[in-house]
Amino acid sequence: MKEVKRKEYYLFSPFLRIFHWIMVAMIVILFVTGLLIAKPVQVMTPEPTYTLTSMDLVRDIHFVAAFIFCASFILRIYGFIINKGDRLFPRVWEGHFYEETVDVALHYMLIKPHHASFLRNPLARCSYAALYALVLVEVLTGFAMYYMNDPNSTGAFLFGWVNTVLGGEMMTHLIHHYVAWGIILFAIGHVYMVIRAEFMEGESEVSSMFAGSKILAHTPKDANELE
Amino acid sequence: MEKRESLWDRCLKQGISRRNFIKSCVTLTSLMGLSTECLTKVVEAAEAKPLPVVIWIHGHECTGCDESFIRSASPLAGDLVLSQIDLEYDHLLSAACGEPFERHLDETIQKYKGQYILAVEGAVSTKDNGIFCMSGGHTFTHLLQKAAKDAAAIIAYGTCAVAGGIQAASPNPTGSSGISMFTGGAPVINVPGCPPIPEVMTGVVMHVALFGTPPPLDGNGRPKQFYGNRIHDTCYRRPFFDAGLFAENYDDAGAKAGWCLYKLGCRGPETYNSCGNLRWYQGMSYPIQSGAACIGCSNPHFWDEGSFSDRLPKYDKIGDADKIGIGLGVLTTAGVAAHAVASVVQKSKRDIEEVENGGAGE
Ligand code: HEM
Ligand code: HEM
Ligand code: SF4
Ligand code: SF4
Repeated sequence: MKEVKRKEYYLFSPFLRIFHWIMVAMIVILFVTGLLIAKPVQVMTPEPTYTLTSMDLVRDIHFVAAFIFCASFILRIYGFIINKGDRLFPRVWEGHFYEETVDVALHYMLIKPHHASFLRNPLARCSYAALYALVLVEVLTGFAMYYMNDPNSTGAFLFGWVNTVLGGEMMTHLIHHYVAWGIILFAIGHVYMVIRAEFMEGESEVSSMFAGSKILAHTPKDANELE
Repeated sequence: MEKRESLWDRCLKQGISRRNFIKSCVTLTSLMGLSTECLTKVVEAAEAKPLPVVIWIHGHECTGCDESFIRSASPLAGDLVLSQIDLEYDHLLSAACGEPFERHLDETIQKYKGQYILAVEGAVSTKDNGIFCMSGGHTFTHLLQKAAKDAAAIIAYGTCAVAGGIQAASPNPTGSSGISMFTGGAPVINVPGCPPIPEVMTGVVMHVALFGTPPPLDGNGRPKQFYGNRIHDTCYRRPFFDAGLFAENYDDAGAKAGWCLYKLGCRGPETYNSCGNLRWYQGMSYPIQSGAACIGCSNPHFWDEGSFSDRLPKYDKIGDADKIGIGLGVLTTAGVAAHAVASVVQKSKRDIEEVENGGAGE
């Protein structure tokens, strides 16, 4: 085995890390309860009065998880403010971003053996930005459905327009449902990519979301973002 | 100018007692969703306000809204048309026809400029210059624009007038749309439904008639007192929904027991209407009460939002979003697994090459 000199880069504040794991748990809960809302499962007992299924409970769990999820963004935003390592979003305004994206993409298409080292590579940056966009759609459509049980409430004032923009509340339901699947597809790819980076490229990826640091062999091209 | 009669004047003329007049005012007050304190206001308005002139035109539609309207019980549609409003022009209810009738329309518009209420039923057909819907030798678009220009208020009756209705269903061969793009500046009150509930139709026109202003409207221009709740939030089957008791088929025990129709595609959770509280035909029933799932007939595009009997639209043989989602999930998982295997094989090959080249690879 070759000796590789590695350097530790502290990236993620505890706020981002806690947020990440709250997000993982809430997405799982929201997705499972969401599917159950769309297609309720009935467990029949001989006497319906004592039915074991409760749509009310399933919906309440969905809504509580939704509020926790939204509240946890306070941690994400706080991390963003105090720590430069929490700001690794796509730098689309920098010219070299695009070549680097192609470079990394070619690597993952198994065409190029290596890609330059990054704290977070441009492709990953794009995928996280996309995930946050999907979450935003879920939050907007979710609250648009949630608050319209009282169209005169403040919540309906804040989110009700979504139903009009989408052309009707049924569309809101459908888009909320479809985008939920989109988030799950992201999650499959994401989990694979971080595990792959951990084991194939030895980039201590998975551990970075626990310990906060990545330990890299080469100087990452985007190291300047930490200064 | 002649003095136009008020509702009270007309009651006097017809020998209707003060007691009965006040009674109708009470009915109207509650129907318009006003509190009892407003009764005096309603009475004053009914005594003093001249009866409103109404022009009622019909576009691209089935006239089902009229079928609903003439079944209004409080106020009785007959009373409304004959003694509570001045219905000057109506394609469907008028006995007159032809040239004199069209002339009467022009005269009415001239005489009551800026004072009349315009009630519109039916969509505007826009394709091929609107030739799919003609009346009196002109397109409906022409008639609508002419009548809307000088209207005090416009009421769009039915989902057709609000959003195009059935004729706007994909692929919308006649290019039908709601009327709001063609009405200019006058306020439009949207009264969607296919058809709207009779009492809602009469209630809205009476509100405009008595107060001269549109009733409080929501963000979609619908009167709040009638479209302020989702059916689902007023449905008497809601406890079954919350308890998770659903009919799975129209002929199963659950359907018989009156359980929630959600799994049969009920659109109550996204439909704003008074079916759940006001109900139809003097509060007798409404679709869900008679065992049929709501199809969301007061929603702007209800006809194009998937099968009425499924919550999630099905895409041909592939199935609904959940089936497609599971399919894509399996594909993605298989894809990343294949990618993992390929990566490992490629890496071990390169590592061997590297060793063979004496570690000069990197
Ligand atoms: C974060 C804010 C969110 C809010 C406020 C929210 C709220 C809601 C509401 C109100 C419903 C409709 C419940 C009903 O019809 O009774 C719903 C359904 C659903 N939610 Fe969410 N949700 C959120 C996030 C998510 C996320 C992140 C996912 C998935 C990853 C998700 C998946 C679903 C699914 C699959 C449904 C069923 C949709 C249908 O077919 O009607 N939700 N949600
Ligand atoms: C067990 C499963 C998971 C593991 C081990 C994991 C691990 C990680 C790691 C290591 C990073 C940092 C990647 C980098 O900077 O290059 C990260 C970032 C991220 N992960 Fe996950 N993740 C998991 C599940 C999920 C799920 C289910 C979601 C959402 C659906 C998610 C959304 C995100 C997002 C949005 C980021 C970017 C964070 C930011 O900088 O704002 N992760 N994850
Ligand atoms: S029948 Fe329809 S409107 Fe009534 S509770 Fe069930 S889903 Fe809601
Ligand atoms: S129950 Fe639904 S479909 Fe039926 S009339 Fe009312 S709004 Fe229309």
